[in-house]
Amino acid sequence: MWRRLLLLCLTLLLAGCTTRQVVVDGKFPSPLLDPLPVTLGVIYPQAFAEHEFFDEAKGRAETDWLVKTGEAQVVFWDKIFNGMFDEVVHIRDWETVQARGADIDGVIIPAITDLQYTIPTHTNVKIYEIWMRYDFRLVDISAIHRQEDGALTVNPDERLVAWPITAYGKTPTAFLQTDEEAVNLAAVVALRDAGAHFISTFGATPDIAVWLDGLANGGDQSDPLPTPDTIDEPVPVIENESPALDAPGGTDDPTTTTAEGGSELPTAGAGSAS
Amino acid sequence: MRGALRQRWIYPASAVLSALLLGGCVSATVDEMTYNEPVAGIGESSVVILGRRHAPDYDTEFDFIECIGDHIHSGDPSIEVINEIAFINQFYPWFEPRTAPMQPQTIDRLLELPVVANQFAEMKLEYMIWIDGKTVDTNRVGSMSCGIGPGVAGCFGFGTWGTESAYEATIWDFTDKVEVGKVSALTSGQSYMPAVIVPIPIIAPVQGTACDSLGDQLLEYLSAHH
Repeated sequence: MWRRLLLLCLTLLLAGCTTRQVVVDGKFPSPLLDPLPVTLGVIYPQAFAEHEFFDEAKGRAETDWLVKTGEAQVVFWDKIFNGMFDEVVHIRDWETVQARGADIDGVIIPAITDLQYTIPTHTNVKIYEIWMRYDFRLVDISAIHRQEDGALTVNPDERLVAWPITAYGKTPTAFLQTDEEAVNLAAVVALRDAGAHFISTFGATPDIAVWLDGLANGGDQSDPLPTPDTIDEPVPVIENESPALDAPGGTDDPTTTTAEGGSELPTAGAGSAS
Repeated sequence: MRGALRQRWIYPASAVLSALLLGGCVSATVDEMTYNEPVAGIGESSVVILGRRHAPDYDTEFDFIECIGDHIHSGDPSIEVINEIAFINQFYPWFEPRTAPMQPQTIDRLLELPVVANQFAEMKLEYMIWIDGKTVDTNRVGSMSCGIGPGVAGCFGFGTWGTESAYEATIWDFTDKVEVGKVSALTSGQSYMPAVIVPIPIIAPVQGTACDSLGDQLLEYLSAHH
């Protein structure tokens, strides 16, 4: 009896020191759309495909949080792109670029540039929230280059369009039993919102409308648009002939993607990771 | 003989007594303003009931929407109520909080998408009912202490809290793309939790009453038999 009580006390004590981990998991519907007559190349950089954020506890009353969204991101955006476009080609290596390059109208490269979350212990409001900011880049297939070591890179100067998408998801506490379930559902809602935002604004984004018009008219839209934040160095998107998931990545900022890094740590403010 | 008596009288009586004891009091106010009522019912057409979830501080509960749908269908089984989550998923992303139509006139923009229009046609949707509201607990007072020791565990104290529900249903005629009515229900009640060794919750069924009140009014509107 006393041994059990001691074990219970130890468990309660240690519970305050552990990291609460959520691997985002959800069932995502396919979008109800008439697909655009476009063959789209997709590159998921490693930092995107393995995206996670870690929030370190700031006091004894709080716990560390590790939320892994990468797997769900890939599953979700695959559904969105497959629903929106006639054909989707995953570009994981140079061979795909060579074999399918002529068919591909454009290559989309998503990135998560910011993620913030709140749980009731942060705000005293009985709602779990997740806010995400994506940066999407659309480049011509000719902007994908192969480095000497086999890695694929893209020059930011050669992008056709770059545009941000924000997403928000919330879950009232009354809906769920545990913090982990609530954070997972808030993330799923945020993903769905990201998809809704992406779909409902895609054709209305001026540069994309120009690109789509160009495709419809059979014109060449591969001339890059001027960008204010150009970088001379090409940015690696896929390393050394391995799939995106195996390639070393880094921060998920589209203009600063590097071959370093891993989990994304909070940079500023409570519950913020970028 | 004693067993039969127990089965026939004592069990039902104690069940009724428990229900009376364990249910707090609830008051409800219902307002209704509807027109163009389908006097012959909605026939083979269907109805969908959807919750509004665009407010920053609350979401209309999914189980509340399900409760109203069940209430309507059980009141008139000929009315087909489409499951909310299935509907939202089927029409993704057009009924997400960001994209859901706020006015019936904006449905026309959705119907410009052939694939969406075809789905609606297959569904024979006649009415779209939007529910906006929430249930919250208020005025929590009292205290309760629980303890655990070797071979002993128990609670002692008393707690009470109020619960308020406020919901409004807006009915859209999907064929004519016009709003044809609003029904609102305000309910409130007080719940109690006395504890002498074992806590005994006496819960006021505030949300359930709101569901029944709104469901009754909507059923009266939609059904030819009520």
